[in-house]
Amino acid sequence: MKWRFSKLALAKLSLPKLVPRSAPIILLILTLAAVTGFAAVSHLVVRYNANQQARGRKLYAHGRAAADLGHYDEAIAAFRAALTCDRSNSQYQLSLARALRDSNNPDRLDEAESYLIALWQRAPQDAAINLALARVAAHRGSIEDATRYYHNAMYGVWASEADANRNKARVELIQFLLKKAAVANAESELMALAATSPNDPAAHFQAAELFVQAQDYDGALREYQDVLHSDPANAAALAGAGEAAYHAGNYAAAQNYLQQALNSNPPDPNLRPLLLTTELVLRSNPFRSHISDAERNRRIGDAFTQAGRRLAECAQQKGVDLDAPGAAPASPLVDLQSRWMAAKPTLAHLRSPAETALPDEIMDVVFQIEQQTAIFCGQPQGLDLALLLSSQKREAAMQ
Amino acid sequence: MSESGAVKPNAEISPEPALARVRIPSRLFSTLEGVFNEEVFFLILSIFIGIFSGLAVVCFRLAIDWTHLALLGPLPQTHNWRLFAVPSLAGLAVAILVLHIFPNIRGSGVNQTKAALYIFNGYIPFRTAVGKFICSALAIGSGQSLGPEDPSLQIGASIASALGRQLEISREKLRLMAPVGAAAGLAAAFNAPISAVLFVIEEVIGRWSAGILGSVVLSAVSSVVIVRWFLGSEPLFRIPLTTFKRPTELLAYVVLGIVGGLASVVFAKSIGYLRPRLRSLPRWTQYFQPAFAGLLIGLIAFLGAPQIMGAGYDSMDQAMHGQYAWKMLAILAVLKMVATTVSFVSGTPGGMFAPTLFVGAMLGGAVGDLERHFFPHLTASTGTYVLVGMGVLFAGFLRVPMTSVFMVLEVSGNYEIVVPVIVANTCSYLVSRGLQAVPIFDLLTRQDGLILPSLEEDREEAILRVEDAMLPVPTTILSAEEYIDANFHRIQDSTDSTFLVRLHPSGWNIITRDQLQRFFQEGKGDHRLASVLPAQSVPSLYPDLPLDSALRYVNTYPLVPIVNRANSLKLEGVVSQHSVFQKYGTRSPHN
Repeated sequence: MKWRFSKLALAKLSLPKLVPRSAPIILLILTLAAVTGFAAVSHLVVRYNANQQARGRKLYAHGRAAADLGHYDEAIAAFRAALTCDRSNSQYQLSLARALRDSNNPDRLDEAESYLIALWQRAPQDAAINLALARVAAHRGSIEDATRYYHNAMYGVWASEADANRNKARVELIQFLLKKAAVANAESELMALAATSPNDPAAHFQAAELFVQAQDYDGALREYQDVLHSDPANAAALAGAGEAAYHAGNYAAAQNYLQQALNSNPPDPNLRPLLLTTELVLRSNPFRSHISDAERNRRIGDAFTQAGRRLAECAQQKGVDLDAPGAAPASPLVDLQSRWMAAKPTLAHLRSPAETALPDEIMDVVFQIEQQTAIFCGQPQGLDLALLLSSQKREAAMQ
Repeated sequence: MSESGAVKPNAEISPEPALARVRIPSRLFSTLEGVFNEEVFFLILSIFIGIFSGLAVVCFRLAIDWTHLALLGPLPQTHNWRLFAVPSLAGLAVAILVLHIFPNIRGSGVNQTKAALYIFNGYIPFRTAVGKFICSALAIGSGQSLGPEDPSLQIGASIASALGRQLEISREKLRLMAPVGAAAGLAAAFNAPISAVLFVIEEVIGRWSAGILGSVVLSAVSSVVIVRWFLGSEPLFRIPLTTFKRPTELLAYVVLGIVGGLASVVFAKSIGYLRPRLRSLPRWTQYFQPAFAGLLIGLIAFLGAPQIMGAGYDSMDQAMHGQYAWKMLAILAVLKMVATTVSFVSGTPGGMFAPTLFVGAMLGGAVGDLERHFFPHLTASTGTYVLVGMGVLFAGFLRVPMTSVFMVLEVSGNYEIVVPVIVANTCSYLVSRGLQAVPIFDLLTRQDGLILPSLEEDREEAILRVEDAMLPVPTTILSAEEYIDANFHRIQDSTDSTFLVRLHPSGWNIITRDQLQRFFQEGKGDHRLASVLPAQSVPSLYPDLPLDSALRYVNTYPLVPIVNRANSLKLEGVVSQHSVFQKYGTRSPHN
């Protein structure tokens, strides 16, 4: 009986008759009906969207909390649910993309990228989206894409703290390039970083560290000096400057900075061997300016003697008999021994004013011995190391 | 009450009311004050149909979303009791509504719309729209494995039909209201107007008709504008980067097409086999069939595959972005096929479009991943195979090859994959057609006892043309500019009784031997033939026209001239009633 009633009620469910029979009036009525329907559906959609957005915000907040704790799976589920409530919400999409990217699951990178690409297509100038895309590209190891998106991020529009964020993006790019061993690209970015970074000791220090990673010690030294310019007692900067100067072959500066670093509070005991080597380099280098001829000759003599000793030790270590009569020069060490023996008598002529090329010739033998023995017998210590460093500096200067 | 999902001429949806209404002489167009003729008015009406259908589809989508959120939550998780309980309880509620209140809303709605066009003079009860709206929203929102597109199509058609009846438009136009509304509903549901127009032409109307194309396009576009206004223009999926680099990769898509074609056959045969058997079970079981389907779907979801619930667009989206390995994709394809089959054959109202896309997407992804595993040089991403796979099953299962191609292109907005899509869809279509002669929609209508025309059948049918019945050019052709006695002397050597007369400067007429003889005997020999011929000339035909077009003339004129399209003065031959009827294999009524 109940169903029968329902049927009867529904059988009457039909549109009311339209009375007018004039086409313009009918079109007017249809227009009014459409406008009314439009308004009613608008109201419905607005209310529905408001409900959905409120639900979405709750889910989004939950996702953010989970992401902050590193619970990416939970965050992804929450962001996905938030997106079902508000599909076009860029913030939800961006957060989901970031969570997908950071979840350490390479399979999720595609999805993260597709969200970000969709966002990027809507706002290609948005720096945050470009940065997120750059990080996805970095996860994939794509230098070209990462560089492009990092650059977009640097030159894009930031909601706040534009300069600081741009600097961070460049630093991130440099770190990525260094990680991928793209040193040339990293160096060009470092140049830009040095030029654009704010005059702030922390920024200069960070730049200096990056220069060190890129093995651009001159650049690193400049940045450390900028730090020390603002903060002369900065122990870390002193140590960094000392090390950078040491690696750059600027031993005088290295000695200065390392000494100050060791005198600063707290002193870094790891710097002491570096300072000792630096001092040895400075004391043993016969080509250092402002030393007398006698001192130069003494240094040449000491270096020559030390080189002979180093050669003998290395030969012994490698089981090469340097004194075997008529031995064929099968080993480079034997050849070096011959050259050392041939140069030994010339030491007596060092004082002769006519022998202007002799110091160079003798030191050439010394440097050859130090370089070859370093290859055959490993990194030397003490005076041998100082001579080796001097040889490298001289070679670099000649190049 | 109908046991069938399709519309039947019974008490509920008898065509009588519509016939009664359309019998009333059209008063509307007699008062148009010369501003609007019927064609113009129908075109404007199409826009309103699009607007109303669009508004209805927006509400329908909100209703599905709201039901889903209320019953299952925003993102169903496995091992949740609600997954188990909700689809089966909702299935029971839907069964009661369908059996007692809305008896004609079972199934997808495509066949019912087609039946309205061809059998019921465009009549679809407005109650169908209401019932389809409520029951489909409840079924899909509760997780039954069905989609919202076909119901949207029927809701649109039902609104259009109701509007047409209210306005008492002519029977011819009222018939066309249903497909116009169907296109609007489908376009709004898919957010894809071109695919909707093509689908309605391929499947609902079943033939290309220039007369209705304008209205269908207008309604589809206006409904899409409405949907985009309210729900935004975001596509259904986030489209992945798709590539097609080497032509040799087409082989991979051929394989996908073949696999998709086979899957389509299995899918269609399963539905075709189970549906009549479940319908033949005792009536009381029909209360529990949707509930049982819901229980099975709930069980699958509970045990680890909630992706198969509802339309599944979110899962398709994730598949496009490589979220599932090939094994999972294959499992989801199989499970979705099972879930959709049980949902559909149980009589739950809902559509087949979204599940077809889902199965195709998962199958495409699985086949693509597997191919890439064995042939790592293949460059296309999983997303590309997923996208192509969607079209593959659409072409093979629904057997709408053109719609399938445009649907993928429209949804993806990427024309780079057009060649893979065409290749794969064609393979799938051919495999499916080879292994299953009757397309799924035709199969369903036949199971309901209805025989409706289909474009696929039309394609198969050889068309007879005028040239097939054409007789050689007669040896004696008279000239209207010559005198009657000259023409009379020319026919003396001929045995024909009827002669073609060439008019000046162009055109043809006919004169019989007896008529000419009579004019000669009446002393009109010095008159030009043109002066005694009837004013109305004989129409001419072209050789490539369908032979049907000759039927209109051969009863009136004993000879109909066939002229060349490039030169209308050149006579190619003639057709007579006898030659036309002979070609049709029937005897002329005059013989």
